[in-house]
Amino acid sequence: MTAASEVVRLDGHVVDSLLLAKVLDAIVDAGATYEILDLEMGTTAVDESHVRIRVAAADEAALDALLADVQVHGVNREDASDAQLVAAPADGVLPADFYSTTNLATSVRLGGRWVRAGRPEMDCALVVHDAGGTAPVVDMVPMHRVGAGDPVVVGWRGVRVETPARAADAEGFGFMTSEVSSEKPKAVSLGRVASALTEAAERRARGDGGGRVLVVCGPAVVHTGAAPALARLIRHGFIQVLFAGNGFATHDIESNVLGTSLGVSLGEGVLSEHGHANHLRVINEVRRFGSVAAAVEAGWLTGGVLYECVRAGVPFVLGGSVRDDGPLPDVISDTVAAADAMRGELDGVDVALMLATTLHAIATGNLLRAEVETYCVDINQAVVTKLADRGSHQALGIVTDVGLFVGDLADRLCGAGPGS
Amino acid sequence: MTPLGWGRRFLVCRPAHFTVAYEINPYMHVQVHPDPERALAEHDGLVETLRLAGAAVEFLDPVPGLPDLVFTANAGVVDAERFVPSRFRHPERQGETVHDIAWFEDHGFCVVALEGDEPFEGAGDVLPFGADPAAGRGVVLVAGYRTRSTVSAQTRLGQLVGAPVRTLELVDDRFYHVDLVFCPLDSRRALIAPQGLDRYGCRVLERLVAEPVWLADDEAAAFCANSVVVGDVVVMPACTPRLGRILEAAGFEVALAPVGEFLKAGGGCRCLTLALDVSLSGPG
Repeated sequence: MTAASEVVRLDGHVVDSLLLAKVLDAIVDAGATYEILDLEMGTTAVDESHVRIRVAAADEAALDALLADVQVHGVNREDASDAQLVAAPADGVLPADFYSTTNLATSVRLGGRWVRAGRPEMDCALVVHDAGGTAPVVDMVPMHRVGAGDPVVVGWRGVRVETPARAADAEGFGFMTSEVSSEKPKAVSLGRVASALTEAAERRARGDGGGRVLVVCGPAVVHTGAAPALARLIRHGFIQVLFAGNGFATHDIESNVLGTSLGVSLGEGVLSEHGHANHLRVINEVRRFGSVAAAVEAGWLTGGVLYECVRAGVPFVLGGSVRDDGPLPDVISDTVAAADAMRGELDGVDVALMLATTLHAIATGNLLRAEVETYCVDINQAVVTKLADRGSHQALGIVTDVGLFVGDLADRLCGAGPGS
Repeated sequence: MTPLGWGRRFLVCRPAHFTVAYEINPYMHVQVHPDPERALAEHDGLVETLRLAGAAVEFLDPVPGLPDLVFTANAGVVDAERFVPSRFRHPERQGETVHDIAWFEDHGFCVVALEGDEPFEGAGDVLPFGADPAAGRGVVLVAGYRTRSTVSAQTRLGQLVGAPVRTLELVDDRFYHVDLVFCPLDSRRALIAPQGLDRYGCRVLERLVAEPVWLADDEAAAFCANSVVVGDVVVMPACTPRLGRILEAAGFEVALAPVGEFLKAGGGCRCLTLALDVSLSGPG
């Protein structure tokens, strides 16, 4: 649930006239909450008092209805001006004073009405379609996708950002904001992630478009032996979309075709002979097939995370980097195009697991709206801190070995044993 | 206790063109026409009663097509030499303002417009209360809002005249102006119709008025609060024995001025008069 909030003003002899009391009562009676931001009391009978109040309601409609009700008592929205729009000067170029978005739900005031922008993403521009029409639409658009002439919101007036609602239960989302620590009992974190995946499955079952679970994987998922457990989670339908890079994909395939990860035998932990080239040979073969899916269809790739994705129809987006060998034919080496492909898979995602990945986790965190429950499992505490520092406030950091963690998670959700 | 410092000079408008031509309050029904001759007679009776009580009466010329011009209380607010014209909420009455302003300009008042554009219906929605020079206390403006005037407009009026405002929400359409629920009698007493107020409004008046006279349902419905106080005479459209005894015990004399024809348009004695000797910033 996202709370809609708005700062309002009340001026005049509002204390002696009991207007303030009446307005606050009306807010509470409507099931909304308030926070008095400023209260400047008049000192003489003639002096006016001035009050600034933040009113928060369950949603936009409830807030609008409440503010319309209390407007008669002299309550006015502090920001009552429409957003200012300026046409983008060229493709991929924003007007100088463009409003830069956060990952929070955002509304834009157009023609006196608040219009909720599409899926929140930080560091984007607000582009308005059909601004003068009866049903204007506002999208959060990354810079490179803005077209010449697109009306872009500039300045901050007429833009409202809503903070996510506090969870009613202390054990719920409030828990996530606690600081990252390697001292936390892992069983609690594991239980929390397991129930997040179970609850997501329930939301999917409701069929309202939510409850999709995203997993973002680094190569260490394979190195630490977590891949078979992740494959089980996919096979059992707990994962709906996967983001990774060339490294993870290659090692996942290498481990399933040759039994090594970067040439190291996953069974024995020793470097196999000429193992340093194993991943290149694997890449070469997949390139021969044309795609990972083709390699699966041909019966060459018969297990692993990507195999399960192909079998289960779970989309995966592989983003490239300058360090990549090959790369695999599925890797999108244009990073801007890769980010767009990732964006294209985010509808309905409300749980994200970041498994042993720094750069991909941050890249993904930048694309997620703030409400997405994000669990970041990494042996390195700095990754989780980095994610939080970049505004992904809802990240729960779990500092542990990803191999053990994902194994336990799969055991808990899918039953024990690799074959289950 | 200090008697009202105002109420010795009133502006009225003879009902030469008075009728019910539209419906902007629950009393008006275009099928129910007032009797013109009876209306003139009632108006003459009211003027005579005011004069007998010791008040001077001045006349605004009636204008064809403006039937509600007779309700001069809604013309605006007088503050000593200043006149703040109303901004009528309903277009049907907005044509009155130019004639109101002309009269006040012709009679030496300084016409001052209220800032903004929100509706505000003059002395019908603002009454001064409580000035007690002996106690060093100035006027408090008792103002109504929701049906005809807005809180913001009332607050601006308070700023303009430099007086504290108590804004009361008028929660019942039958009492669409504050002068239907509140009538100052002197610096300690007022008639109050709680039927038109909510608990906040009642609480505000309980604090403000030392000796409130609460009206019963039938008294409120008979527009008893829409009375004109001239010294110790209360000129009322109607009065019950109960209320009459209370007023007499408080030292007031009740003078009835039946205005039944005007009740068909939703107005009583107060609505038909505008006090010209009001000073909002000084002693009431």
